[in-house]
Amino acid sequence: MISKTMKKKLLSVLLCTTMISTMLVGCGSKSAETPAAGTTEAGTEADASAADTAGSDEAAEIYMFISSPEYADAINELIAAYQEVKPNVVINYETTQNDYPTLLKAKLNSGECPDIFSSTSGKEIGTYLDYSYNLADQPLAGAMTDSVKSVMMSGDEVHGLSIKGNYFGILYNKGLFEEVGIAEFPQTMADLEAACEKLSAAGYTPFTTGFAEWWVYKHCFQTFLDAAGKDDVEGLVKKFAAGEAKLSDYPEIYDDFFSFIDLAVKYGDAKPLEADLSTEDAAFASGTVGMMLGQGAWVEADILKINPDIQIGFDGYPVNDDAANCKIIGGSDQALRVNKDSKALQPTLDFLNWWYTSDYGKTWFKDVAGVIPPISDAEAPDMEVVKQGSALEASEGTATLSITYSTDSFHQAFGEIMQSYVAGTIDKDAACEQIESKWVELEGAE
Amino acid sequence: MQLGRKKKQTIETVLYTLPAIILVTVMMYIPFVMSGYYSLTEWNGIAKEPVFIGFDNFITLFSKGSDFAKSLIFTARYTVVFMIVANVFALALAVILVKKLRTANILRGIFFVPYIMSMTIVGFIWKFIFSQGFAKMFEMTGLEFLNLSWLGDPKLAFYSVAFVGIWQSVGFYVVLYIAGLQAVPSDVLEAATVDGANGPAKFFRVTLPLLGPSITTCIFMSLTNSLKVFDIILALTKGGPGGSTYSVTLDIYREAFQNNNYGLGAAKSLVFFLIILVLTQLVLKGSRNKEVDI
Repeated sequence: MISKTMKKKLLSVLLCTTMISTMLVGCGSKSAETPAAGTTEAGTEADASAADTAGSDEAAEIYMFISSPEYADAINELIAAYQEVKPNVVINYETTQNDYPTLLKAKLNSGECPDIFSSTSGKEIGTYLDYSYNLADQPLAGAMTDSVKSVMMSGDEVHGLSIKGNYFGILYNKGLFEEVGIAEFPQTMADLEAACEKLSAAGYTPFTTGFAEWWVYKHCFQTFLDAAGKDDVEGLVKKFAAGEAKLSDYPEIYDDFFSFIDLAVKYGDAKPLEADLSTEDAAFASGTVGMMLGQGAWVEADILKINPDIQIGFDGYPVNDDAANCKIIGGSDQALRVNKDSKALQPTLDFLNWWYTSDYGKTWFKDVAGVIPPISDAEAPDMEVVKQGSALEASEGTATLSITYSTDSFHQAFGEIMQSYVAGTIDKDAACEQIESKWVELEGAE
Repeated sequence: MQLGRKKKQTIETVLYTLPAIILVTVMMYIPFVMSGYYSLTEWNGIAKEPVFIGFDNFITLFSKGSDFAKSLIFTARYTVVFMIVANVFALALAVILVKKLRTANILRGIFFVPYIMSMTIVGFIWKFIFSQGFAKMFEMTGLEFLNLSWLGDPKLAFYSVAFVGIWQSVGFYVVLYIAGLQAVPSDVLEAATVDGANGPAKFFRVTLPLLGPSITTCIFMSLTNSLKVFDIILALTKGGPGGSTYSVTLDIYREAFQNNNYGLGAAKSLVFFLIILVLTQLVLKGSRNKEVDI
């Protein structure tokens, strides 16, 4: 009897001790073991490759942790193609569906910065400067288009590259416009209003707005901000962030932007604050809606999936009476960055340079990923928005991707304020006042 | 001998609880103390060193027009509505379901099903019902209230969120109340009948007081659950339209993980922790005092 209970007790004591010791071992071993394991792995690989290939390159391992999961398949193909060029270089590619910034921060704080990581372009280029390598002297910087490069700069340094270029503007239904007798997309506010009247008289809804999404507002807003900022939009945004400028001093924003929003609400969806991206896609693809706001090249594939016959037109936002302000916007809002303290810095740079300058890399953008190339010397994919976008870029130029000068924290607050305005809970002056104070609160400190 | 045994017992107790203590310490207490420190700093989650700024975060919190105050008011409203409606409704349902209905068992199941579904899924289902479902039903019936923008109007969005929250969790409280109702001794109820008490009198003077422990539990649970409301709002409105449905937890999430103000986010969660602590203690004390024993 006694021995049995004793045994039981002994057993549980043993169990306890094992558990604790495993826990302690588990916690402690990591730092000691990882580098050792890493070197052995690299070592065996080097041996293997030295044995069977004539590859003179050193073996290296690149850790790539980036956002944009929609291009995972395309990037895997890119990596596979690079394996043929440099079989000794192993690229560990990892992506995530959501919450990329949080995961990246966790990695940075635990001291394992990926060799290639992402951030947004523009203002966040500065946020991650502690970690990122200056690419200005690399061949890839020379290959990049100016509109993409302009949002990757920190002073004279280039701190990012991009998977794709992008176009932002209004998508419109060419068939409907022809049907009601509008030959050309309106370039001024007065023409736009007339077009809306014609469309709604013919029984169509002129706009689908997407006003339930906070990011739709920033896409609409940037053309007006560009018009207000003229040649120095970044400077103007800095002034707003420092609290040195008032929205009411800029008629392009205070009058034109708000009357544009009013117009969109008046001629838009029945429930504007419930219209999200999928509602917008469905409405536009149904063929009864004239224009789609706040979007760009990325929605075309989804619309064509629903309605393959729709004739999509693409143009900029009319701002006021000056047709010259009505320009599409080009650039890239995502940036890939290189870790400047990377152990595999040179192999990483080689890979990225190969991507931007090799023959395979140049065709990858169109043939594999189906995106607008961020480099000047490559063909664009066969999409209406892209074709018309690059034609417009060639004929009248593009406006600045000014959303990248503020972070998404601000844009989200901005979107919420505009939603209150659309809902009618605050008026224009209150909205302006809130936008000004949010700009200072969220962007001014740094 | 006696002393040796006691010593052994103490060692055993310590040893047995040690794994749990270590885990809880690593996962709860240490982060708690750390967030206490971070609440005194300005830190964006990226920089290698947080900057110590003293109580500035707490001053910002309570300054005029802060989002925190707005989200506190929203959470308070939500909590009051949720506690009252969920408890009254659950108690009423429980009273009906302990009656000898033929469908009682099936109905209990039906009311409980939403509770075992994930909040996110419930949120998306209702988002669909509020937009497409209501639009279709309006076409068919022409009832005006179906045509309102239930998620797009800042005033209505509050009620939509509260309604879905209650709809989802009412089954849980029904189960708790049913358990309580079944524990009410039938001899006391029979005695009341003999004394000439009618239905309502029996319920309010006998059943309800004897339900004390269940009510305490349900009120306590509904209080903490509604204070912590997060996922249902994220799935339904993401805090919109126009920031009208930000709860405190969602506001903390936004501050820390979207605006990258980890310091301010930590300060907010500390203040919120204190509010929850005080509130729950008060409610627990208050309702315990009212409980009666047979």
